[in-house]
Amino acid sequence: MAVTRTLTQSDEIPASYGIGTTAIALLLLLIAVSALGLYAQSILSIPEIQQGINGEISLILAFLNNVGIIVPLLVVLLGLFFIITGVNMLRGSADAIRWGATIVFWLTVGAIGVGVFTFFQQSAGNAIFDIETDYGRGASAALPLLLFAIPVGAASWWMSRHDSFVNRGQTLSGRNTRMAWNLLIPTIVILIIVAARPLEETFITSLTDKRFGSADPVSFVGLDNYIQLLSFRIDTVSCRLADDGSCAVDASGNTRWELIARDLMTAGYRPLASIPIAADRAITISGTDGDFLQSIGNTIYFTISSVSLELLLGLFIAIVVNSKFKGRGLMRAVMLVPWAIPTVVSARLWELMLRDNQSGIINKVMLDLGMIGSSQAWLTNPNLQLNALIMVDVWKTTPFMALLLLAGLQLIPADLYEAAAVDGANRWRQFTSITLPLLRPVIGIALIFRTLDALRVFDVFNVLLQRQKLSMATYNYEVLIQEQQGGYASAVSVIIFVLISVFTLLYMRSVRIESQ
Amino acid sequence: MTTNKQSFGWILERVVFYLIIVAIVIFTLFPFYWALNSSFKSEQELFEPATYLPQQFTTISYQGVFSNGNFMQALFNSAWVSGATVLLSLVVGAFAAYALGRLQFKGRRGMMYVVLAMTMFPQISILSGLFTIVREIGVYGSPLSLILTYPIFTLPFTVWVLTSFFKGLPDEIEQAALVDGASNFQTFYRIMLPLTAPALVTTGLLAFIAAWNEYLYALTFTLTTPTSQTVPVAIAQFNGTVMRQEPIAEVMAAAMVVTLPLIVLVLIFQKRIVEGLTAGAVKG
Repeated sequence: MAVTRTLTQSDEIPASYGIGTTAIALLLLLIAVSALGLYAQSILSIPEIQQGINGEISLILAFLNNVGIIVPLLVVLLGLFFIITGVNMLRGSADAIRWGATIVFWLTVGAIGVGVFTFFQQSAGNAIFDIETDYGRGASAALPLLLFAIPVGAASWWMSRHDSFVNRGQTLSGRNTRMAWNLLIPTIVILIIVAARPLEETFITSLTDKRFGSADPVSFVGLDNYIQLLSFRIDTVSCRLADDGSCAVDASGNTRWELIARDLMTAGYRPLASIPIAADRAITISGTDGDFLQSIGNTIYFTISSVSLELLLGLFIAIVVNSKFKGRGLMRAVMLVPWAIPTVVSARLWELMLRDNQSGIINKVMLDLGMIGSSQAWLTNPNLQLNALIMVDVWKTTPFMALLLLAGLQLIPADLYEAAAVDGANRWRQFTSITLPLLRPVIGIALIFRTLDALRVFDVFNVLLQRQKLSMATYNYEVLIQEQQGGYASAVSVIIFVLISVFTLLYMRSVRIESQ
Repeated sequence: MTTNKQSFGWILERVVFYLIIVAIVIFTLFPFYWALNSSFKSEQELFEPATYLPQQFTTISYQGVFSNGNFMQALFNSAWVSGATVLLSLVVGAFAAYALGRLQFKGRRGMMYVVLAMTMFPQISILSGLFTIVREIGVYGSPLSLILTYPIFTLPFTVWVLTSFFKGLPDEIEQAALVDGASNFQTFYRIMLPLTAPALVTTGLLAFIAAWNEYLYALTFTLTTPTSQTVPVAIAQFNGTVMRQEPIAEVMAAAMVVTLPLIVLVLIFQKRIVEGLTAGAVKG
């Protein structure tokens, strides 16, 4: 059903239309050729690239480090697209003219958008670098862009004036395709700026020894960062001998183990944990970056404990709330409260509740109920810290989990339960043979959702434990911001990215996109 | 006799049921109540054994919060950053969602997968790359850095939810508009967009809450510029400027100030929010 607004065939196309499209085609060719030329020139003028050309350093690495892949690729592809479109417009192709209209429209929008942004960004003062606000500076920076906007803007305006000729005789699918890409361009541009480019930057930087705020030249170190981060080894050690020849124990009654061999210590290995395998022998795990391996361990422990607790509690709450009772709507609203509270706020709040004396309500309640003998230092005792964080996380996200599962429960038809009840199945049978199997897809998705969230945990660790115990994310933050080690931090980022991508793929397999 | 026994069992079951409900409500709301309770206590009282009601009710912490210039600036920053992020995501997201939900074109499935993968994108893993880019663009330390980077978690989600909403609209409306001679774009913004108003409200609200609560980027990009900080950073860094002691009652009052608007929004739009949250996860 090709419903398009076309002119009747008898309408004469004026000669001026041909002149206009030719002019716009030439404008496109001019823009494409000069943009490619200017871009190439700007790359060649980078000192490191010149060193690469002279053979002083590797050209490929200098190129990757200074320009990356995405931007040059985009510039070349768009340049070629402009040139092909321009040439076809000169040949009089109606389709090329339509794409030409699209191009000049977006060039106008882009030039004005970037121009306005440049104006405000360049005008704004900066307290750190002691720069004052100056609109003259902004205007002179934005001027070239705004000047560029004039010819493309005029071209775009002319094209829209001749809309009816431009759109003459186009097919429905052609029209849909052009419309769709027009609508998708802003999203694509944003995703390139905030996701693709930073990701590329992170991958490339992870292979270097870059440091922020340092004038030292950046050099490539290959996989050194990764090796340093992930190297670990497992050795068996014997116990330390006390004077009487038996194994020595420390103040709390734990056996004391020998350290790992001295040459391993010199090579950078630091013991992380010792697991006893016999009375006088233990396995010691050691790594070259103990903090990172420890942070992986902390994150995994946190993830597994909190997600499984949340699932059990969430399932229980969902089933309770799923039965009919007065105030069910209110109940659902109540369940959204922990979810809506900012994580930072909930962390500060639990900080107060978890205080290590009777001014902390958790200690007071547990003492009053006789659950603990004396006040616990939840946030400073290394054995309790992670469990305290799990408590906070379980409180904050269980209701969310319950709401997801509740939505799943409501999709199960009630007559299934009625039929089961008639057959004499008790509640437990109904739960195991109807609820659980039918809820399994929803449980799977909720689990993946929460696992992904828990693996990137940052807020509670940062606020409640600062640097006492790290998650992968807070470790990454510390290395990046506190130590300013760009290259090393990027390698941490890449490892987290790979780990989380695995779960994302699992998630995408469970959410199918229908083929239509 | 049997009916009596049955009704007794029924009553017992109801009682246990409502006890469970009450337990769930206490579990869910108690920490929130505790913040409210603590915010009306004096700083000294917070160091005495905890009590369920303030012994000396005082609003001094709230006065402290509202006369704290840094915190008021942070409130303003948060409102402006979250508002701008929502506007940006809704406008850009609605465009993309219309294309993905209503138009047939080559590459549609591929774009859908990209958007879905992006909804799960681990923010932390591009922190260092984003840090470099934010500095290159020259917005490091300004609220603009947040408006520019927050779409990474608000936009894909907005596109995803709006796409499924657009898909659910009947074809007839659109065809009627096209037959009447409206252009594609006119059909989109005159007819289809107003129909999606409820979904726009839901996704806008969720994007607002996500941006309002965001901490990692806010901390990373505004650590050195207190005038650009948003509320979560301000609350995490809330340390006594006058007193040496951390003013914990004031922190709780500040927590109430930033949370109450969200709670009110959540209570009003409760149904929509639950639908929005579960739309992505359950229906696919």
